[in-house]
Amino acid sequence: MRLRSADPGVLARVREHFDWSLFIVVAALAVVGVINLYSATSVARGSHADDYIQQIYWLVGGGILATLVAAIDYRHYERLGYALYGAGVILLLLVFILGREIRGSSRWIYIGSYSFQPSEFMKLFLVIALAKYLHDDPKAEGRTLRDLLAPALITAVPTALVMLQPDLGTGLILVLVFVSICALTNVQTRSVVALGIAGAVLAPVFWSYGLRGYQNERIQAWLNPNENILGYNWDPHQARIAVGNGGWFGQGFMKGSQNQFLFLHEQHSDFPFPVYSEEWGFVGSIALVALYAFLVLWCVRVASSAKDRFGAVLAVGVGSIVFWHAVFNLGMVTGLLPVVGVTLPLFSYGGSSVMTVLIGVGLVMNVSMRRYYASPTRPTPLLGGL
Amino acid sequence: MSNLLVARSDVGEFRKRYKWMALFATLAFLVVAGRLFQLQVLDGTEYSAVAHENIIRRVVLPTTRGVVRDANGKVLASSRPSYDVEVIPGRVMPSARPVRYRNGQPVARDPDSWPRLADILRLNPEERRTFEARIHAACASDDDKSPCWKTPVLVREDVPRDIVAELKQHTDELGGVDIVGVPMRFYPYKELGAHMLGYVAEIDAQTLARYRPPGYDEMARDEQQRVNPLGYEGGDTVGATGIEHAWESYLRGQRGWEKRVVDARGRYRTGPEAERLVDAPGKLDPIPGRDLRLSVDVELEQAIDKAMRPHAAGAVVAVDVRTGRLLALYSKPSFDPNDLSGGEGRARVREAFNRLYADPLRPMLDKTMSGAFQPGSTMKPFSALAALEDHMVDPEHTEKCEGFVVFGHRVMRCSHVHGPVRLQQAIARSCNVYFWHLAETVGMDRIAKVALAFGLGQKTGLGINPEAPGRIPTRSWYSLRYRGNFRIGFTLNMAIGEGDVTVTPLQLAMAYAALGNGGTLYQPQVVRAVETSDGAVVQEFPPRIRRQVELHPENLKRVTDALFDVVNDPNGTAYSARDPSLDVAGKTGTAQTGYVAKKDDEPKLAWFLTQNHAWFAALAPARAPEVALAVLVEHGGSGPEIAVPVAMQIVREYERLQSIHLGHAPSAKSPPPAKTGKPAGGRP
Repeated sequence: MRLRSADPGVLARVREHFDWSLFIVVAALAVVGVINLYSATSVARGSHADDYIQQIYWLVGGGILATLVAAIDYRHYERLGYALYGAGVILLLLVFILGREIRGSSRWIYIGSYSFQPSEFMKLFLVIALAKYLHDDPKAEGRTLRDLLAPALITAVPTALVMLQPDLGTGLILVLVFVSICALTNVQTRSVVALGIAGAVLAPVFWSYGLRGYQNERIQAWLNPNENILGYNWDPHQARIAVGNGGWFGQGFMKGSQNQFLFLHEQHSDFPFPVYSEEWGFVGSIALVALYAFLVLWCVRVASSAKDRFGAVLAVGVGSIVFWHAVFNLGMVTGLLPVVGVTLPLFSYGGSSVMTVLIGVGLVMNVSMRRYYASPTRPTPLLGGL
Repeated sequence: MSNLLVARSDVGEFRKRYKWMALFATLAFLVVAGRLFQLQVLDGTEYSAVAHENIIRRVVLPTTRGVVRDANGKVLASSRPSYDVEVIPGRVMPSARPVRYRNGQPVARDPDSWPRLADILRLNPEERRTFEARIHAACASDDDKSPCWKTPVLVREDVPRDIVAELKQHTDELGGVDIVGVPMRFYPYKELGAHMLGYVAEIDAQTLARYRPPGYDEMARDEQQRVNPLGYEGGDTVGATGIEHAWESYLRGQRGWEKRVVDARGRYRTGPEAERLVDAPGKLDPIPGRDLRLSVDVELEQAIDKAMRPHAAGAVVAVDVRTGRLLALYSKPSFDPNDLSGGEGRARVREAFNRLYADPLRPMLDKTMSGAFQPGSTMKPFSALAALEDHMVDPEHTEKCEGFVVFGHRVMRCSHVHGPVRLQQAIARSCNVYFWHLAETVGMDRIAKVALAFGLGQKTGLGINPEAPGRIPTRSWYSLRYRGNFRIGFTLNMAIGEGDVTVTPLQLAMAYAALGNGGTLYQPQVVRAVETSDGAVVQEFPPRIRRQVELHPENLKRVTDALFDVVNDPNGTAYSARDPSLDVAGKTGTAQTGYVAKKDDEPKLAWFLTQNHAWFAALAPARAPEVALAVLVEHGGSGPEIAVPVAMQIVREYERLQSIHLGHAPSAKSPPPAKTGKPAGGRP
């Protein structure tokens, strides 16, 4: 197959179809995220002090990957959908063999001095697999429970593996991604009701038997926010104080006392928002929330204009990943939700997390850029389809 | 494909859902935004306050207790630095805490610093075990309010300086170990004047509850200031007895505080960034306690101690006849206030108290004012004055003493066969027979009136230790006590200071001072002036007259002449023990104690307790008295033989000290010029 990249028209078309809104909002989040990471880790000596530089590397690497992902016509991913999914599941299995235990769970695979978290990438593979399934299973009438069985299984396998690590947060996100994608389809009302009842019955069972000791503790801590402040409630308590201390306009960059005087922990991973919120106040926080909201709504918009079912599910899936991460993380640091280890996209430090988000954005960009042409029967290579 | 009617590119199924999704996402973010509004805008001030509280610690700045000096500036009580070693159980021995989990994984605990501390303090194995058990008990739970974090354990008090240095050198390895600097009260003269000075002790629960009633912590600052103006806290040192107790509010001083910035690990942060966060006012300077300048001369006290050396128990009061200022307050046996002030640990304090309270000679009793004793013949001048004032007796009338007298069917014996004696001779020779006849004529209540006018049998109001009132009985007192069966014997006993008459040495000294100065009864004073720590006088206490006793001068002269004869007439009771080089007047007394030995008494002690009290009340110089002395040798025996030599020695030393101080420190006469309001300049 001949590459048509030499065609001067292609670059012009890329420029024409490029989704600047998506790019700008993601770039803004990444830049603010790095600045905030700099402040958040400025008090950490040793291991985390240079995290923000590493984060820039991840962002650059993720950006390159996203560009590549966006360049190749997304219908190639549709063809490879189940293969990618299978690869993701195998990686998750490898975690149990190769992974080392860190703080009670094995989530990482080590390659040389680098490590990565297959469960992060699994979110994308799950989206692709579900998109592939729904793409191949168009329906005019409402979907029944039986119709949802296959996608449910597709979700259940990686979810179970992730829960075994154990990584409650990611498992939860996988389930919620599945629910979000289901919400896109036309499920029969009575199926929804049946699922709701099943959920209501299973929830207490899960509550009693499915949660580990520390997870129960965290929920107890969340229900009693003023108790055990030196224990499980330390992080959410101090995070809430930091957020509140921001006031209208914040304490100023690098001047948040909660962070500077070491009251916040995990400020590079799960709790970067309190650092930001304390420094930039309500005004800055609302601006950040608006950026996330815009990104999510934009994904929905891209989905609504996608030219095929695969593209639409892809955009909604990536949007839901960002949405649930952002809402859970913000909810957790403001005390609306119990502490579950869910990162804040592009704010939390971590290569796997950053790359997952950026590749996801690349996918959305891909869908967005290729929305103008009628679907040809065969996908085109690289910049094709523009 | 299951459904061939619908093309794979048909996105119609999804079309209706997008706006619901957008709505759901928008609502979710709005909830988050609402929560942020609540936290940052509505409750922002509150959270800011909490964040501020997180990093601001109010550190108490200690004050120093005032110094007590004698009339010549010698330090009687001051504070020296002392170091206690305390540990926070949870930090010194993290292994004692229950294991904590984070993300399901035990959190690593710091290594114990306890073994290192135990080595440096050279604790013996038993001590180690005791403290380790206490630490483990404290850390049975480690929640926020557990003693594991909140209650420091005191390991050693008053640690020697070389060990302090060693501890400071190894601070890094000694997490959870605090070296607490505590000012320790120090009394350089130890037992000397201990009753007068008193001692300090940790505030007791009842007193503390008075200053910090329930709900104190919730009170507004003004209210707290009103209830507890001196800011007492648990564990504070307060004056327990004597001047330390009575002048507590002057000596104590006021604590200050300073706001310091700390991080989550409790480390202090300094520098402009940290200081920026401290809100005004950032500091309240402590006010040091006021110093006291006493009228007492410690060298005179030393002389008294020397003179009293042969005797087991007693009391001496020396007072300036012209001002009522006390020159010496001496009570024997005494105690070492350093032991009781916690200088060498609580065990030492307990041990000292147990020893002191078991002593039959009652070392904890301030005999100068808290003990009342029969005055014996030292009472006679007042009986004589009662007779003279009311013209009941002709001073030239003679009474023949045959050595005894019969009242009813009782025979009462005099000390000698004095033969015919006039009033003046009866005092000088201490003839009981004369006074019995006199008492018969004068009656109890007239004598009581004069004795009370001279302040006997009443509290003097010195106020540094609880005063025993003593007793001058009257007819009505007896009729209450004996249901109307008044006997003439009561009156006879009273005239010679026996029976139910009791006085304190302080009262007697003040009364004799009044005899010596023409009848002015002064209020005794022990503190001359209150000074700031740099020597400026804040307040001076001029002499205060309690009352002017109405007397005919010729009557007083007859009595003081008689007091002169006591020492200087060859027939005077004190003549043989006098020091011819000294000009002294006075009156001896030998008081029966009326002690009846009990069956389980230790024989030696019982013998001792049945001995008479030896008294000598003196005035010197005899013709123009400056100092009045009351010397009591408890169970010493005969006043002339035992108490007079002691008094003579004291007067001799007094004269010597006067001649030394007269040149450069006229302390007893006129105060140094006041420098009120001028803190600078130091001591003259």
